[in-house]
Amino acid sequence: MTDVTPYDFIPADVAPATPARPRLLVLATSLASAAIAMGFMGLIGQYVGQRADVIATGERWLPDGVVIPLTQPNFMGLTLALSVITIWWSVSAIKNDDRPNAFIAFVISLVFAFAYLAQTAYLFTIMEMEILASDRAVLIYGIVGSHMVLTICAMGFAAIMALRTLGGEYSARDYEGVLSSALFWTMTVSLYGVLWYAIYITK
Amino acid sequence: MALTETRPDTHAHSSTTGADGGATAPTTVDGVLGTGDHKTIGRLFIIGGVFCLIGALILGVVAVFYANNFDSLAAGGTDYLPQIWSLSRDLALFGGLAPILIGIALYMVPLQIGAPSTAFPRGAAAALWTWFLGTDLLILAYVFNGGPGGGRADFVVLWAASLAMMLGGLVWAMVCIATTILGARTQGMTLERVPHATWSFFVFSLVGIFSLPMVMTELLLVFLRVRYLHLPVTESASLTSVVDGMSLAPAIYWLGIPVLGMGADIIGVHTERPIKFHQPLLVAVGLFGVLSFGVDIVGLSSVRGVDFSNGALVVGLIIAVLPVLGVLALAGDSIRNGTFTPRAALIGALVSGLLLLLATAASLLALVEPIMSFIDRNITDSIDMTNTLILNGTRFHEGIRALVVGAVLVAIIAALHHWSTKIWGRRMAEPLGFFAVLAAAGGSIVWAVGEIAAGFDDQPWLPARATEDFNSGLATLSLVGVAITAGAAAILGANMAMSFVGRKQAGSSPNTWSGTTLEWATPSPPPIGNFPAPPIVASPTPLADGELTYAGLEASSADDAEQNESEQQ
Repeated sequence: MTDVTPYDFIPADVAPATPARPRLLVLATSLASAAIAMGFMGLIGQYVGQRADVIATGERWLPDGVVIPLTQPNFMGLTLALSVITIWWSVSAIKNDDRPNAFIAFVISLVFAFAYLAQTAYLFTIMEMEILASDRAVLIYGIVGSHMVLTICAMGFAAIMALRTLGGEYSARDYEGVLSSALFWTMTVSLYGVLWYAIYITK
Repeated sequence: MALTETRPDTHAHSSTTGADGGATAPTTVDGVLGTGDHKTIGRLFIIGGVFCLIGALILGVVAVFYANNFDSLAAGGTDYLPQIWSLSRDLALFGGLAPILIGIALYMVPLQIGAPSTAFPRGAAAALWTWFLGTDLLILAYVFNGGPGGGRADFVVLWAASLAMMLGGLVWAMVCIATTILGARTQGMTLERVPHATWSFFVFSLVGIFSLPMVMTELLLVFLRVRYLHLPVTESASLTSVVDGMSLAPAIYWLGIPVLGMGADIIGVHTERPIKFHQPLLVAVGLFGVLSFGVDIVGLSSVRGVDFSNGALVVGLIIAVLPVLGVLALAGDSIRNGTFTPRAALIGALVSGLLLLLATAASLLALVEPIMSFIDRNITDSIDMTNTLILNGTRFHEGIRALVVGAVLVAIIAALHHWSTKIWGRRMAEPLGFFAVLAAAGGSIVWAVGEIAAGFDDQPWLPARATEDFNSGLATLSLVGVAITAGAAAILGANMAMSFVGRKQAGSSPNTWSGTTLEWATPSPPPIGNFPAPPIVASPTPLADGELTYAGLEASSADDAEQNESEQQ
C-alpha cells in the first residue's frame, strides 16, 4: 500500500481559492466599538477628573449617606465575564457548523446580560442615591446608565444574530455576523471592567 | 433583510436612465428618501451641507456684528450673542463643512477604489437622515430659545440631544466610509495605492470616529445636568465650551485633513503630472491626522481651558506645520514640472493648501507666551512677562478657526469643480468658481486678520463681547471678512444650482480632465454599480498604466468598459 496524503488529490495546477469576502461587518463593528469605547472613556475621564478635584479639596466624593456595596458590582462583573465565555462559545460552535450549540450559547449569554441589568437595577435601589440631590449622582447614573444602554444594544445585536443563526444564515463558511456580535459584546464587557474599577472600587 | 446587508442600490421604478444609457439616479420623492445609492446619499449630504454652511456664515456675520458692538444691547435687551455665535459655529462645523466632506467621500471613495458601492449603503442612508433630523432639531431648539444662553431648559436639553444626534449621524457615516476603504477595495488596490483623496478621507474618518464620541458623551452629561437642574441654563460659557474640544487648534485641523488629500489629487490631475512621491504624501496626511487627534487627546484639558502650557500641545502645534509644508512642496513639484492650466479646481486646491499652512503657522503665535514663560522659569527669570504676547483666551482663536474654515471651503469649491461631471453630470461654471475661490480665500483671510488683531488687542474670546475701547476698524475688518466668506458659500450654492438646472449634460465622457485614478474610468455620472466588473489595478495611477482590465471580463480599455456597461443596461 502506497502512502497517500490529502495533497495527492489536489492537482498542482488548480488555481488558489478565491479570497474570502472582506469582513465588512466585522470591520464596521470594530470601528463602531472603538468609537463607543472612546466616548465611554471620555465619560470615565470626566468622572475621574471631577472626583480628583473634589477629593483634593478634602471633601468626600460620594454624596452623604450614599454607600456603594461591593458584592453586587463584583457579581455583576463575574456574570459579564461568564457571558464573554458563552458568547465566544457561540462563535466556536458556528465555526464547527454546530447551530444548535451556537443558539444555546447565544441564549445563555442573553440571560447573563439580563441578570447583569437586573443586578444593576437592584444596586440602584440599595445605593439610595437621588439624582436630583447631587451633580455627582448625575455623573454616576450617566456612566452606569450609558453602560446599561450599551449592554441592551449588545443584547439586541446578539439576539438578531442568534435568530439569523437559527435560520441558517450563518455557517462555518460565513460567520461574520456572529463574530461581530461577539466583538461588540466583548467590548461592552471590557468597558464594564473600567467602570467597575473607576466607580465601584475607587468609589 | 437586515441593516447589515447590502441591498441593490436603488429601485428600478424610481430611477431614470441617463443620456449615456448608464447613469441612473432616483428621481421620485420615495426614490430619494429610500435610496441606498451612495451617490444620491453623497449628493444629499453635499446639498444639505452647503445650505447649512451658508446659513452658518450669515449667522456668523450677525454674531461678529453683535460681538463688536458693545453698546448694541446695553439698553437692557436680552443678550442673544451666545446663541447666535454657538449656532453659527456648530452649524458651520457639523452642519456644513464636515457633512459636505462626508458627502464628497461617500460619493467619490467607492469610485476611486473600484467598489460598486459604499459599505452598508442603507447604514449610510440612516446616517444621512439622522444627521438631517439632528440638524433640524438643533435649529428648532434655538428657535424656541434653547442652546447655550437660551432661557428655556427644555430646549437647552433639546439642543444637547440634537447636537449629539448630528454627531452620531456623522460618526456612523464615517464608519461606513472607513469600512469601505478597509474592506471594499478592488483587486490590486492596496492601502498604499489608494488615491490621496481616499486616503485623506480614511484618516479624516478615523479621527472623527475616535474624537467625536467624546463630544457626544459630554453632551450627554450636559443633557443630564440641565435636565436635573445641576447646570443652570444661564451658564452659557459651560455650554458653549462643550464643543471646544473640536473647534480649537489643533483638533479643528481634523477638518483640514481632506484638504491635503483632495488637493494633491486635483493638482496631480490638472497639471497632468501626478504627485511624485505617492507614499510619502500618504504618510504626511496620516501624520497631520495623528497630530490633530493625538495632541488633542494629550492636551485635552489644556485646550478646554485655552491654556497652551501643555508641552505635548506645544510640540504638536509646531510639528503640525510640517506635513502641510511637505504636501505643498510635493504639489509644487507637480506645478513646476507639469502643465499649469489655470482652472478653478487647480487654483482652489493650491489656495486651500496655502490657507491651511497659514492656519497652522499662525496658531504658533499662541505659543509665544508659554515658551517665554518656560524660558523665564527655567533659564532666566529676567523676562518681563507683562509685555509678552498673551493670546490665549482671546479672539485670536476665532482667527485660526476662520482660516481653517476658509481652507476647507476653498478645498470644497475646488473638489466640487474637479468632480462636478462625476457628481452632477455637468460642468460647473468656471468664472463663478474662480470668483468663489477668490471670495472664500480673501474673505477668510480678512476675517482672520480682524480676529487675530482683536486677539492682539486683548479682546476676550467669543461669545464674550468686545470691550468698550475696541478698535472700530478691526471690528469692521472681521465683519467684512465673514460677510465675504458667506458670499463665497452662496456663490458655490448658486453655481451648483445653475450648473444643475441651466447647463447641458456633460455627456458620458468618463475622463473630463485626463485623470489617472479609477473614478475617471466610469461614465459621468457613473451608473449603478459604478463599474461593469471589479477593475484590476497594479499602481496608484491605473489609467496611466495602459489598458484597464476587469476581473471576469476580457482586457479592455476604459472606453470599452463603458460600452459594456451601456450594453448591460
